[in-house]
Amino acid sequence: MTNLAIDHVGKTYADGTEALRDIQVHAAEGEIVAILGGSGCGKTTLLRLVAGLDTPSTGTISVGGQAIGAVFQEPRLLPWLKIGANIAFGGQRLDPAERARRTSALIERIGLSGYDHRWPRDLSGGQSQRVAIARALIGHPGVLLLDEPFSALDPFTRASLHALVLDLWKELRPTILMVTHDVDEAVTLADRIVVMKPRPGRVHESIQVDMPRPRDKLSSAFELMKRRAMRAIDRSLADDRPTGPRAFGPGGTSPWL
Amino acid sequence: MKLTGFIIPIVLGVTWEAVVQSGLATGRLMPPPSHLLHSAAALAASGELWTHVAATMTRIGLGFLFGAAAGTALGVLTGASGLALRLLDPSIQALRAIPSLAWVPLFILWLGIFETSKLALIAMGVFFPVYLGVLSAIQNVDRKLIEVGRVFGLSSTGIALRITGPAVLPVWFAALRTGLGLGFMFVVAAELMGASEGLGYMLLDGQQMGRADTILVAMIVFALLGKACDSILVAISIPVLRWQDTARATL
Repeated sequence: MTNLAIDHVGKTYADGTEALRDIQVHAAEGEIVAILGGSGCGKTTLLRLVAGLDTPSTGTISVGGQAIGAVFQEPRLLPWLKIGANIAFGGQRLDPAERARRTSALIERIGLSGYDHRWPRDLSGGQSQRVAIARALIGHPGVLLLDEPFSALDPFTRASLHALVLDLWKELRPTILMVTHDVDEAVTLADRIVVMKPRPGRVHESIQVDMPRPRDKLSSAFELMKRRAMRAIDRSLADDRPTGPRAFGPGGTSPWL
Repeated sequence: MKLTGFIIPIVLGVTWEAVVQSGLATGRLMPPPSHLLHSAAALAASGELWTHVAATMTRIGLGFLFGAAAGTALGVLTGASGLALRLLDPSIQALRAIPSLAWVPLFILWLGIFETSKLALIAMGVFFPVYLGVLSAIQNVDRKLIEVGRVFGLSSTGIALRITGPAVLPVWFAALRTGLGLGFMFVVAAELMGASEGLGYMLLDGQQMGRADTILVAMIVFALLGKACDSILVAISIPVLRWQDTARATL
């Protein structure tokens, strides 16, 4: 059952820059869809449209009236609210008692018990992003948007946050739309990878990731899936290249193989 | 550590005291500390000093209140509405280009020589820094935090109260402190232009009577009151701004 529908969405800015063209992405309930692409392919723009922070120039986006949660590239915690209040901020529609209950449960879940009354300035980057994830999920949103929230973190912290997101996803089952430029991250988390190509941002192809979770990054299946995604990226770039000799190897062979 | 700052004034004071006591100077135009203390005590005992302090503080208090309220209100208005900004800000900026003291004759003409014209002058001194501070603070609120409010479903009122408001608070307090400082500057101007009481009147009186000690006592009282009022503002701001992640070594 479709839960999030992005239909023929295009975005052209006032200055004439076409950021997105005819984007078509549907996500089923509880599905994790990763939008994979390099910078300039409009993936963050797409997420902003879904979040309602910007309006599409053409096409429609529907989340079926569900609540949306979002985690941005930076934690974006409100510096004047303590950690507990920052998490509670995400639950605007909850009644106060329920909000307080969920806040303390989530603080426990993200491994920051005892931090309720600390200020955001006291947290590390990874801890702040954990709080941002809790804030995004406290309202039990039907759709969770992740805008490269792990890109600024070190590999260890990133892996632990991947685990946290999957853990919370198993419990709350939001549909997740995440954008990333990290192939490894997309294969670790997603049910489906949508590869985009740039200028203007378009959907290049969609790859189903049928692997059970938790996924073993050292398995050959994982490696294969990564290769498939990388080849798709290559093809998306090759399409854009002007005719003539291919930049990489004879016959456009992937630089990654 | 904090006492280091007292070394120079104390050395200078003691030296001057010694010079006058030993008869090397009369200290008529620059009375030594003992003389100043004596004059201050006499003025305080006669009640004269308190009359002047009360008059000055009433003017500062009311002028600051009006100026800060108007500056905040207009700053919020122009910060919140593009129409108000385009409509009002050019005029306000044009008025700001006039040196505030240039208004004195007009205020006296319009409002008389008594309290109203003085309050208007002080309020105007307070108004501009507060207005500018609030306006620029609202314009500079981090767009990314506003977006957080929008994503989590806050109304525009909710965003104004829960995001813009707290984000503007540190600049608002800083602007109030600047405004208060200017308020003190303009109360002197207002009282010099004709008053029968107030610390500014004391200054003028001391000059006309050739009493340097009266002038110096008024100046010191001004400094103490200014510092005390500023500290009160800071004390109010500390619990509200505890979240700030800034180097707050000196207040």
